[in-house]
Amino acid sequence: MKFTPKNIEENVNVSKTHPLVEFGWLLGGLLLLVLILYLLLGVATDIAVAKIPVSVEVWLGEHFVDRMDALENEPLQRLIQPLLDNLPADSPLREYDFYVQMVDNEQINALALPGGQIVVFSGLVEQAESENEVAMVLAHELGHFAHRDHLRRLGRGLGLTVAAIVLFGEDSAVSNLASKFFLVGESHYSREQESAADRFGLELLVAGYGHAGGATDFFARVGKDAGSRVPYLLASHPHPDDRVRELQGLIAANGYRVDAVVPLGQDLLDVLPVGEECRKESPGATADE
Amino acid sequence: MEIILQNLDLFIFLALMVLGYTAGSIAEKRHYKSIHRREKELVKLAVVTAEGRFREGAVKDSFLVNGSTVISNDYFKRLLAILRNIVGGRVKAYESLIDRSRREAILRMKEKARAGGAHMIVNLRLETSTIGRSANKKNRVGSIETLAYGTAVVMNRP
Repeated sequence: MKFTPKNIEENVNVSKTHPLVEFGWLLGGLLLLVLILYLLLGVATDIAVAKIPVSVEVWLGEHFVDRMDALENEPLQRLIQPLLDNLPADSPLREYDFYVQMVDNEQINALALPGGQIVVFSGLVEQAESENEVAMVLAHELGHFAHRDHLRRLGRGLGLTVAAIVLFGEDSAVSNLASKFFLVGESHYSREQESAADRFGLELLVAGYGHAGGATDFFARVGKDAGSRVPYLLASHPHPDDRVRELQGLIAANGYRVDAVVPLGQDLLDVLPVGEECRKESPGATADE
Repeated sequence: MEIILQNLDLFIFLALMVLGYTAGSIAEKRHYKSIHRREKELVKLAVVTAEGRFREGAVKDSFLVNGSTVISNDYFKRLLAILRNIVGGRVKAYESLIDRSRREAILRMKEKARAGGAHMIVNLRLETSTIGRSANKKNRVGSIETLAYGTAVVMNRP
């Protein structure tokens, strides 16, 4: 047998597909799959949330939410009462037993926890200039309860996590990537929730106080420190300036009166933690309410 | 700046992916260039998998030659393979790795044979193994080793 040396020009062992093309197809297909799953989950959650009674949510709140160390809450409870009194008789909020408390924390923030618990950080009350402002924040939180936002968040978040783990396994690069990607979608969803709660809160404030004074003050003040809009592309809340604009649009559209605001009651100032004046202007505080 | 800090792991991931892709592509291109050049140089040195049978007195000398290479996966290829693992099919990302590794190992073996004055290599065998048992697991990037070995034969030629 004679050996004839020959150069091999054609390589059959390596596929010709460009790696980026393959990457695009694989990632695109996968993301599409997850997107479909996510949308289905969203629909399922929305259906389920409408059917879950308030008592279940209260039970969830009692068993899964740690009660925070709270300061006295009487003055805040007094603020929320007129808002609650003006709810329509058939409002689902009437089934809750609301419990407002203040927590000693310099963050400018307030939270709505499942089961009717509203937590107001003392930093928020410290920087507030009127009772109406605080009432607006409380009304906004009531909006979250009215729209059952916790249950929605719980359903989607849980579904997404389970889906990612089932598909890619725990702690894998792809599931990290996927969850990052969908956080953007989720944050957009939650920005809509925030705006809806703002609208609800405004109506409630007007019903309780008879005018919309103080509704935008809080966001306007926070907006001054909020800086650039870029970080808000991914944030769970709309930019404060956008919220102010939306609220002002609503006030104008509905012809709400904007009267003088009521200054903070002395009882509320009394329950603030002492010696807090120095951190009144805490920079970098986040507005989350 | 804040947005980068908040999503630091995402940015690290993207940076590693871009780095893996660019560095991996450049390395692969250069390696193939070198493989093609050296294969042309060494094309006259015959390598066969067949067992050699020679007339008596035809062989002056014979000795074992081997060549081995270790080639690393890159971050991008690994990601591509992970994605491929979900749906199945040919893992195209790894084909070039194996191909390069085998050809490089044979080339090294041939270079050794030529240095020993051999005219041909018979009984070529190839072995491939992964390095690092945790290759592809827990964010570690694995690599492959290919070993080529055979018998170099020096003929009795005037």
